[in-house]
Amino acid sequence: MRITWRGVEFRLLLPILLLVPLGFVITNIALTNAFEPGPLHLALGYVALIVGAHLILVGFGHRGDQLILPAVGAMGGIGLIMLNRLPQDLAGTAAFGFELGMAATQLLWFGVGTVVMLVIAIGLRDDGILRHYKYTWAAVGIGLLAATLILGYEVNGARLWIDLGPVSVQPGEVLKIVLVIFLASYLAETRTLLTDARMRIGFLAIPPLPYFLPMLVLFGAVMLIAVALNDLGTALLFFGTFLTMLFVATGRRSYVLIGLVLFVAGAFVAYQLFGHVQLRVEVWLDPFADPLGAGFQPVRAIYAFGRGGIFGEGLGQGLVTLGGGLTIPYVHTDFIFTAVAEELGLLGAFALLGFSAVLVFRGLRIAALARDDFGGLLAVGLTASLGLQTLIIIAGNTKLIPLTGITLPFVSYGGSSVLASFMMIGLLLSISHRSAIGADTEAAK
Amino acid sequence: MTGDILRIMVLVLQLAFVAGLYLVLLRFAGSLLRDLRSAEQTQLASRSGIGRLSVLESPEDEPPAGSTIALGPINSIGRNVNNTIFVEDDFVSTNHAMLTFRGRSWYVEDQGSTNGTYVNGHRIDRPVALSFGDELTVGRVRMRLDR
Repeated sequence: MRITWRGVEFRLLLPILLLVPLGFVITNIALTNAFEPGPLHLALGYVALIVGAHLILVGFGHRGDQLILPAVGAMGGIGLIMLNRLPQDLAGTAAFGFELGMAATQLLWFGVGTVVMLVIAIGLRDDGILRHYKYTWAAVGIGLLAATLILGYEVNGARLWIDLGPVSVQPGEVLKIVLVIFLASYLAETRTLLTDARMRIGFLAIPPLPYFLPMLVLFGAVMLIAVALNDLGTALLFFGTFLTMLFVATGRRSYVLIGLVLFVAGAFVAYQLFGHVQLRVEVWLDPFADPLGAGFQPVRAIYAFGRGGIFGEGLGQGLVTLGGGLTIPYVHTDFIFTAVAEELGLLGAFALLGFSAVLVFRGLRIAALARDDFGGLLAVGLTASLGLQTLIIIAGNTKLIPLTGITLPFVSYGGSSVLASFMMIGLLLSISHRSAIGADTEAAK
Repeated sequence: MTGDILRIMVLVLQLAFVAGLYLVLLRFAGSLLRDLRSAEQTQLASRSGIGRLSVLESPEDEPPAGSTIALGPINSIGRNVNNTIFVEDDFVSTNHAMLTFRGRSWYVEDQGSTNGTYVNGHRIDRPVALSFGDELTVGRVRMRLDR
């Protein structure tokens, strides 16, 4: 084990770590109308956390990608600034004898997430456990779903939460990762068989069913349960990730075409069957039809985008509460992007999208450089999942597609989401570490 | 009056903050570009071809353990020195197996060897498609197919 100076990572982290306390200072000045920096312990805690993660990677001689941690650090920093700015009693914990506000709780979860990320990135020297136990992973996934169905309780009509004493968790977030691991392992093994499509209907190549069926069955079950749990955003995310991985594994456009047709058919059936789906679509088409009822949230979000304009209202100067209530309900989870766009404007929102784009770009690069099919497909799946989740919730916020309640990775408040996103980053780092080591041993010969 | 000064201060700081975000993005873009250029060069330097075998285990050290063998489209494996991949091992037959690249993927076929050919620990009885990362075993020699 030799120290690797991760210079690129350090130089990128430096300005980000200066910007986070600056954001806290601006917020405090604007909120209190006095030229005082205000309490900075959360910002400094965040800085210490990210620097600590960087130093641990350096100390263990980690050779993984150096742009991922700074991109995550930037998104998490913007998220923490926004969460610190919102009313602190929106969420929080009272566990372990401490009374923590929303931003402090989020920082706590960042801490837990970072530790998990480092353990996966450094500890996972061999992908054997991920690769060889694919049916175990499938069972874990189904178990998670069953647990949610039986033990879960509803928040806002979607049954996603399990109560575990001091904390409530969303198993769907972890399920996302388990599903990607299973699909990567299954597709790496059957990839060549799936590519040899012999059956054809017209111009469409049909995948050989014996190899396709196990995946389809599991996947159908996951989708059905996701719909039954009324978690449409997650269902859409799973489906998009699945199609992306299938296309990357086989290179067949016809599979994607079949998938999209199935999706449209499924969406149509869901629309006919479920009242809440119809409501979502109606609200999306015309939120102003019922601006104080069903359309309340999207209408308020549109106004917030308008107030923000190009340069934004300024940190701490947006309209967060109105008439005793929040201007936009769930601004700290589903609508965090709207809050960023209101206070930092189009420019700030674009910067946030830029960091997300860097993450996706690097994720695909890790996939391209992976040493084997499993690592490549795993990286593609994780990247697609993170990227699509970002796209789906931002498109929902801006009324490009019907709103589905999922989190913006690293920015939204939420322990399960933060933890799952950091796990995914840990996996990406470990894949890229292994390819860097492999390239070295080869160059040495 | 002090309110105005405060407002201007906040505005300046805010602009500095957003400018800082774009500065970071610019640095990201710089790193991305540098990486792409260096990747291009390394790719030009080593045109790796369609695949290679990494030798994981080889008791007689022919081929040496830890070495990599560049593959052509058709490779024969066996104890006969006329094979493309010559393997010195008592458990390997004269003409043991055939490794071929057809279309988009690799296939391996046993050539009626005495001790059989194994893919990921399973003995094969017909031509089998290989994925990158799969392990191929002939006799006591264990190899992995890599890009």
